Amino acid sequence: MDAVPLATVLARSDIWRGDRFADAALPAVASGFAALDRELPGGGWPRGALTELLCDGGGQGELSLLLPACKQLCADDGWLILIAPPHPLHAGALAAAGMPLERLLVVEQGRDKKELNALWAAEQALNSDAPAAVLCWSMQADSKSVRRLQLAAAAGHTAAFLLRPTRATHESSSAVLRLRVQAQAEHGGTLAVDILKRRGPPLTASLHLELPRPAAWKSHGRPHHTTSFTHGTPLARPASAATVARHPSGLAAG
Amino acid sequence: MPPGKAVVEQNRILACDVAALQAGVRPWMKPALARSLLPDIAILPRDVEAEQALLDTLACWAGTWTPRIRVVPHTGLLLEIASCLRLFGGFEHLHDAIVTGLNAQGYVVRSAAAPVAQGALWLTLAGESGMRFDRAAMSRSLDSLSLSALGSELPAECITRLNSFGLSTLGEARRLPHSALTRRIGAAVMRELARAYGEVPDLREEFAFPARFDLRLELPVPVDNAEALLFASRRLVQALAGWLTARQGGVRECSLMLEHRKREATLMPLGFAEILRDGARIEAILRERLPRLELATQVEALRLVADNVLALPGHSQPLFGKDGAQAAAMPALIERLRARLGEAAVHGYAPIADHRPECVSAHAAQGKNGSAGIVPAARPLYLLNAPQTLPERHGRPHHRNEPLLLLAGPERIESGWWDAGESNSDGRPSGDMRRDYFVALAPDQRWLWIYRECRADFDKGGGWFLHGYFS
Repeated sequence: MDAVPLATVLARSDIWRGDRFADAALPAVASGFAALDRELPGGGWPRGALTELLCDGGGQGELSLLLPACKQLCADDGWLILIAPPHPLHAGALAAAGMPLERLLVVEQGRDKKELNALWAAEQALNSDAPAAVLCWSMQADSKSVRRLQLAAAAGHTAAFLLRPTRATHESSSAVLRLRVQAQAEHGGTLAVDILKRRGPPLTASLHLELPRPAAWKSHGRPHHTTSFTHGTPLARPASAATVARHPSGLAAG
Repeated sequence: MPPGKAVVEQNRILACDVAALQAGVRPWMKPALARSLLPDIAILPRDVEAEQALLDTLACWAGTWTPRIRVVPHTGLLLEIASCLRLFGGFEHLHDAIVTGLNAQGYVVRSAAAPVAQGALWLTLAGESGMRFDRAAMSRSLDSLSLSALGSELPAECITRLNSFGLSTLGEARRLPHSALTRRIGAAVMRELARAYGEVPDLREEFAFPARFDLRLELPVPVDNAEALLFASRRLVQALAGWLTARQGGVRECSLMLEHRKREATLMPLGFAEILRDGARIEAILRERLPRLELATQVEALRLVADNVLALPGHSQPLFGKDGAQAAAMPALIERLRARLGEAAVHGYAPIADHRPECVSAHAAQGKNGSAGIVPAARPLYLLNAPQTLPERHGRPHHRNEPLLLLAGPERIESGWWDAGESNSDGRPSGDMRRDYFVALAPDQRWLWIYRECRADFDKGGGWFLHGYFS
């Protein structure tokens, strides 16, 4: 067998030197967070590859982290598929965040909580190469199923995200990008993102991303600063009430 | 090895399968001799009606390739392909596609192509396969055909008489003077010959595609095996695809009926995400559904009915830009997911303008950008179907035994007296409500959307509830 020069090996897209990003990075879609894009090979979430997001329970801020990229993918006639989300989604909030709802598909986990169905659905979606992005929540995915999803994603152009609990941090994984996401009290209530694996040098420091939040963040340490609400005290007038329909009793009284 | 099968007509074997052939059974044998060669052989009488029904099914299927088809009773199909050779990329491609399609349905095919329909049929019957592009080549091939190979097409006494003159091929017979030959074998046979050579026009009727698709396929043996049912249903599905192509239509739904002996048929409705006529996609749905079907008893016959045919014109490929392949893959994916997980588990959102947050997220088969109502303030991305009760201690709501920090609010939402006492189709709570919503921060730094019930007549008497997560 002929000897292959080292330079030829290094030029391959699936080989990268540990001290810099892979030369031929995968096509990527900007995450919408400049600080994160700087640290991701290719400058964003990879397409045609699996990204693993480790976060415990819904509500850490993982959707706000992914939505800007999903929005961008859907703007180009792409579909977004959400598989087995941990809680029901609110269409009004998704629409308000700019997601085109006619290109959104939700696959519910089902009452029997068969996890395999979620992973099966994710694999089907990736194999079909039809959607632009797939988000799949799974509690029971193991390294074998992660590998299957990565292989399915690598054959297409879909941006694939698998959301798993943080207890999987130390498991081996075939995903090309792994991040741990956690809402935190330090750094002014920002979202802490640790990049556990990327095609490039390891990143030791956490990133702190400012997510759009419904109100200004306050520290939990000073409970006496907040008003306390009890049954006895009259409530303050609503700050921004929705248009209130008249109550029939009100009509009768008026 | 399975025991062989043979079909008998007038106490002679007409055809037999590979297993029987290997045992030495040949057509034209007596059934008794076949039994002595292969004791387990299944000898079936010829069913002319079933043969005709099969040819009609195949004629529907052939609509995939050409709209002009003729069924030759008990013999075969004639397809007019000259007008569609270019569309399918030439004779070789078209021929391969047709033969592969028939093989996939479990048929063994003999074929030949020629400029004249009757000529092509005779060449096929004589086993002379291949394409003759012009009449001269076809005539040469026909001339060399042995008369005995056309036993099913020409009267037996005519063949015997010609053989008694010392003539063994068609070409030799045609070299005789026309009038003399006519006198000897009759004008009818001469007309058949002229038709085969394309000397007189062939005016026989073409196959008329039925107005309504309703085909039945009798299974050779009763089955309850999903794999066998899938194989058998493929014939019907392919026939439906061909029939739809010929009618330039598509279906959004069709139904497969599995018929049993002495029992009502099992009905399996098939619904699609869009109007389609692609047999492979219908098969993909059957592949998911059939193994999950619980059958009371074995299936004797399959019946596929498509009532509502909708217009589905062909679509053009774009000259520039992206191809339509990716857009077409999405409905197929949705169907596949629905076939396995159920219709309700795969949905989009069609928001309804309503002040009550739980009424906005209406499920729909196909999502659409409705007006999402007036969204006066931030709404959480996750909204629980059933609000969770939060305990109150020292005047503050607690979540997981930790006090919550209220960051924004209250926002009063008060609406819905008009459907009080009714629950909507999803079974979610609705109706009259009067709530004060707050944005709260949990000690684990999750942002919650909680509310305080303000209705005095509320059966639980007020209290705090968790309704959603900002994420």
